[in-house]
Amino acid sequence: MKKQIRNFAVVAGAATAAFALAAGPASAVPSTVWTVNPTPASFTAANSGNVVLSVNGIAMTCTKSNASGTMASATGNPATVASISAIAFGATGAPCTSVLGNVTTVATTPWTVVAQDYTAATGVTKGYVGNVDAKVTVGACVFRVTGKASGTYTNSTGKLAVNSVSGELTVVSSTNCGSAVPVGAKPLFKGDYLVKVAGTSTIPTIVGSNP
Amino acid sequence: MRGPRPTPRSTRVRARGATIAAFVALAPLLPAAAVAVGTLKVDAALPYVCTLPSGQQPATVRIRATVPDRATVGETIEAADAGTTLELPAAAVAELTALKAATVRAETLLTVGVGQNGESTDVAWRGTTQPSAVPADGPLTLTSTGDVPALTTGTAGDLTLTAGSLAVDLAPSTADGAPTSPASLSVSCVPGPDAAGRTGLAVIPVTPGAVTTPSPSTPTAPPSGPSFPPPPSSPSSPALPSGAPSAPTGRETASTTTGAPRDPASASGAAKGPRVAADGTPGTTAGRPKAPPCITEQPTSTSLSAYITGYSNVRKLDGASLIPVSCVQLEQGEPVIDFRPDGTLHLLQKSEGSLRYQGRKQSPPFSSTFLTFGFAPTTATLVLEQAGPLIVESDVLLVFPDNIAETYIRVPLVLRVLDVEVNGTRLDVGPDCRTVTPLASPEPQPAKYPGDHLVLLGKGQLLNGTDATGYVLTSGGPLTGEVTVPAFKGCGAGGENLDRLLTASISGPGNHIRQIQGQTCAVGVEVPTEGQCTADRQPYVVPKPER
Repeated sequence: MKKQIRNFAVVAGAATAAFALAAGPASAVPSTVWTVNPTPASFTAANSGNVVLSVNGIAMTCTKSNASGTMASATGNPATVASISAIAFGATGAPCTSVLGNVTTVATTPWTVVAQDYTAATGVTKGYVGNVDAKVTVGACVFRVTGKASGTYTNSTGKLAVNSVSGELTVVSSTNCGSAVPVGAKPLFKGDYLVKVAGTSTIPTIVGSNP
Repeated sequence: MRGPRPTPRSTRVRARGATIAAFVALAPLLPAAAVAVGTLKVDAALPYVCTLPSGQQPATVRIRATVPDRATVGETIEAADAGTTLELPAAAVAELTALKAATVRAETLLTVGVGQNGESTDVAWRGTTQPSAVPADGPLTLTSTGDVPALTTGTAGDLTLTAGSLAVDLAPSTADGAPTSPASLSVSCVPGPDAAGRTGLAVIPVTPGAVTTPSPSTPTAPPSGPSFPPPPSSPSSPALPSGAPSAPTGRETASTTTGAPRDPASASGAAKGPRVAADGTPGTTAGRPKAPPCITEQPTSTSLSAYITGYSNVRKLDGASLIPVSCVQLEQGEPVIDFRPDGTLHLLQKSEGSLRYQGRKQSPPFSSTFLTFGFAPTTATLVLEQAGPLIVESDVLLVFPDNIAETYIRVPLVLRVLDVEVNGTRLDVGPDCRTVTPLASPEPQPAKYPGDHLVLLGKGQLLNGTDATGYVLTSGGPLTGEVTVPAFKGCGAGGENLDRLLTASISGPGNHIRQIQGQTCAVGVEVPTEGQCTADRQPYVVPKPER
């Protein structure tokens, strides 16, 4: 039984890892100066395509998700280039759904956007959404997820593509969720967000360099 | 209780036609004192333009209701005696006669704009008509009555009601009572150009309430119904308390009867909730459509409650009986991951619960009217009594990235007859008139689940990152099944045995059931999800029956 659980998780994890690897090779020298333009600025983000959180193969789909926060240039590696002060999953009339029922997610913010690697040729920053902390309720089943979720940000499109790798997120508490969502389960989070400078249609950019 | 009036024809044909039953729902639970002494009669006849399959036709829509002539902040504003009359012109009637329709029944949905201080929202006034004969020529007048939402507002200022679009679903029947082909005709109507400036139905001044203002300045002579300033946002009230006014919230309340029996569609209206509160305060009971109380006593962290309603065909009568909005309370089982020998991965969940009505494990009583043997209008008041545990078992096949769910609900239910009226004469069925055994469905696993019981199946799925669809235990959806109604016994009093009458009328196999379950309220969780529970933790979502 246990073996099969592992296999299942490995398959899911492998699929995600393959995607992450395909995102682009790391640059030779790690960036330590991160130039965000404009800086500082507020941003908003809305999902492009459905956002899916899955645990043990149970998928939870959100057709609507929005986030907002602030961003600013930073130094170091890794470096926090943005702070997500609010993130909503689902909306009135468009709740997140699953085969266990409608899903309510309440995020404890701020979450962070952390840059780790920049590819000048593509304008793609690799990094992760950090400080993730969310309480998920499905019927009487309530669980809390914490951790981080790997992703990329593409300057040309303003797309923040979050695609977590197994092990980054962990269920740290769980009530009435049985073995479906036990403590220690490793959920996967996948979703694309289009980022704009708040109140505008301007796509912000992140450029990493090593002066 | 009058059933449809078939035109004279052979007994056999008449029997079939007549058994297209005019079912009656429960008497509306309208608090009689709900309508205040000071009332305002709304009676507006407006020119509408209706779109039929053949094109647009002018039509006259008359809207009537009685509303309070004033209200205070937080007070419930209920419209009573609401009715909509649609006069379809001869050209529209021709579309019905072309379908060989002899009678027609209609469901109506009038959108009423509610405005206050620049805020506005829409509420739905739903209604149903009695079956009406389709004239060979000339116009057809359809008068619908039904349930309309009650309103409350947290802000002072004139509250305006404005007539909007009218959607009409026509269900025509041929002379022998069969549905026409197609079986329904949808007509959508909007106020015509000539209605401009006349769609205002009422202005109800809302004052801050007795606590703050004895209000000599309160308008005491509200404008009469139809004469109404068009812009609902016109600020005609004095300065308001600071803060954004909350949008009015709706609570559906039974409003009207014209002495006419209510048919199942009418009762369906009772369950159709204008989700006004979605824009307002979903947590309050006031935002919820009318439904019987469903408070879970001594809840646990896994307690769920939900409303369920729907139709059960009575095959023998060629009709359907409405099972009214009923409260179901469950203890949600822990979901368990199950690895099958065939390598598939399943998520299993077994929950147990019961129907609840006034402390008993049963449905609310409900009435069905039909013409037994083609001539005797019979109204039976029925109740479904639970004779054993209600078990909900979900089996979700997890095939990454898809999740396929099947949920079986099993419950032994005895159909009890409380009262029967034949041709207006009440027959005493006695205190113990029930089916001999529980209703019985075909059971896919008879060895595991012996005994007679109802089986309902709900199917749901989530495919590749899209939304879940279909039935899911905690968010509800459609459940279907088929049931055999056993013979009745114990029916009759004073030496008269009614067992055979009821058995002959109702009992038999192959009765299709379709129930719609609403979103559950997770009663025991720390913070219930908005829009799922009322403030006192009853289910917020009241489903409407579907055929």
